[in-house]
Amino acid sequence: MQSFQQDCVELAMCAYRRGQVSRRGLLAGLAALGALPMTGGDALAQAVRQIVMVNWGGIANQGFGRFYGEPFMAANPGWRVVQDSTGPSAGRIRSMVESGRVTWDICDSSATSSHLLGGLNLLTKIDYGVVNRENVIGPTFALDYGAAPYSFSNVLVYDSSKFPTAPTGWADFWDLQKFPGTRLLRRDAAGALDAAQMSLGKDLANLYPLDVRASLERVRQIRRNLVFWTSGSESEQFMRTGEAVMGQIWHTRAKVLEQETNGRLKFIWNQGILQPGIMVIPRGNPAGAMAQNFLASMLANPEQQVELLKFLGNGPTNPRAAALVPEEFKRFNPTEPANARVQVAQDGRWWGENYARVNADYIDMVTG
Amino acid sequence: MTAAGRPGAGWWWLILPAFLLLVVFYVAPILQVLAISVTEPEPGLGNYERLFTSGAVQRVIVTTLRICLITTVLALLLGYAIAYAITLASPRARGWWILAVLVPLWISVLVRAFAWVTLLRRQGLVNNTLMEAGIISEPLPLVWNEFGIVVGMVHYMVPFAVLPMLASMREIDPRLLAAARGLGGSRGQVFRRVFLPLSMPGVIAAAVLVFIFTLGFYITPAILGGGKTLMVAEWIGLQILDLIRWGLGTMMATMLVVAILVTLAVFSRIVDLRRIFGAGA
Repeated sequence: MQSFQQDCVELAMCAYRRGQVSRRGLLAGLAALGALPMTGGDALAQAVRQIVMVNWGGIANQGFGRFYGEPFMAANPGWRVVQDSTGPSAGRIRSMVESGRVTWDICDSSATSSHLLGGLNLLTKIDYGVVNRENVIGPTFALDYGAAPYSFSNVLVYDSSKFPTAPTGWADFWDLQKFPGTRLLRRDAAGALDAAQMSLGKDLANLYPLDVRASLERVRQIRRNLVFWTSGSESEQFMRTGEAVMGQIWHTRAKVLEQETNGRLKFIWNQGILQPGIMVIPRGNPAGAMAQNFLASMLANPEQQVELLKFLGNGPTNPRAAALVPEEFKRFNPTEPANARVQVAQDGRWWGENYARVNADYIDMVTG
Repeated sequence: MTAAGRPGAGWWWLILPAFLLLVVFYVAPILQVLAISVTEPEPGLGNYERLFTSGAVQRVIVTTLRICLITTVLALLLGYAIAYAITLASPRARGWWILAVLVPLWISVLVRAFAWVTLLRRQGLVNNTLMEAGIISEPLPLVWNEFGIVVGMVHYMVPFAVLPMLASMREIDPRLLAAARGLGGSRGQVFRRVFLPLSMPGVIAAAVLVFIFTLGFYITPAILGGGKTLMVAEWIGLQILDLIRWGLGTMMATMLVVAILVTLAVFSRIVDLRRIFGAGA
């Protein structure tokens, strides 16, 4: 299953090829990479210590290196941040920590994985003496076993040419009478069941714990009208080719569709499912406690987070960042106060505790 | 063989390095992984118990077997017709036929799966043509279901079905067919009573090959299934990478290996397997 991070990378790569990401942006990224061997030259090799940041490949190397790595290196001489694009899935982190030869310091993971892996004692707890909780906009962005320097959202996207009135939330997603046509969901319980629960009319402030049985049943009701995506490009393709007329997809993909079709495909922030891009520290990481300082620096830098929003589409999580976002990017920023207000923050703790079981049931229902 | 024509024990030392390499870097890691299935989440056969108690596990297995059997039968039928046509074709035409069978083999499985999506989707070539011709008014559900998966898998497997059957058909002595005709058999009788029985070893060999191949299919079902149909390989990936239920994932991997070995063991009694996989052919 493709994760959100992998998808950002792919999306940014496409954007760059189409010329939507500036050449300057890419060149600066390349320069950052090119500069690394110099600081790590023979004479300095002994003195320089490194932090290995693991991402999902492609242009995240540039994005994360430039907007997370460089500011930290500037502030901490003697340290350099290197990017590794292996793709730190929960399974890979587990096998690395259990083998006892950990080479990763900080991994682009998720709230769910941080709870799963943390529960298995495979991660280092975040030291909130070093990392400042005040630097994120909400409690779901600062967890026991991970903290989020960026955010993303699962939003409702629809084909406006197919419906006379616009859908306003997940209740409309389930209303096949009023909005006929095929629906699109991710083949992942997290996101789909949150939406199902919202469609049942539960008070948004007390959405969690989800009523798993009722939510699963709710998805089952429209199963015949559903198709499922597993990668971001696939989700985009389903909407673009008219396979589905309404779907739940990542906001970064929804943005592309809306801009590309001049607003024929639209997305709404209302009842979007806001999620943190959680970074985790594997237990026994080589750089030790310095990884905490690096994480603290990522959270504390609103300017760089806004640059990442422009570059990859990831929403900033620092409370001071929203004011720095240029007007034309506000519509697409999940943590813009006006957008964040109408969304629901996904409860990573509840999902972490229940994900394995609930997702197995969900996939069972989907494939049944 | 030694110069005297007897197998010499000394020669076995020559393959020892290759043997050790295989054991250390291939067999041992696989066994290590498979061992997880009896040690996690707690030691015992709990994961294997799921084969009998978990509806989800059973459904994945049944779905996989169903799709594999349908694919095998269809690939054999199509492949048999093609192999038969090639056998009877002139040498010149035969070359072109074989090229046409082999070319798809060289195209990436990913590309072929996406090509089928383009053809079969709602606004794809097939549905658009049928709708413009006025034959249907609503697009047919040709993809994102088991139908789409079977189409993609049959397309992939036909060359693998053709080649063993072709090899076996070309060994049939054409004079036997002529003799049967000379003895008064009709064309149908000659085919049913002479050609078909003689080509059966090739058919069985092709069936084993295609069935074993299809058991482990990953990409084609993932793309053409629309997320709704889960086969064993994708299910294992899900357990290992996303759900970190390694015990369950490796249990299924073990079952896959066992299923393949059992299939091979059963059919090795019927046909000469070394021939299928190219040795001594």
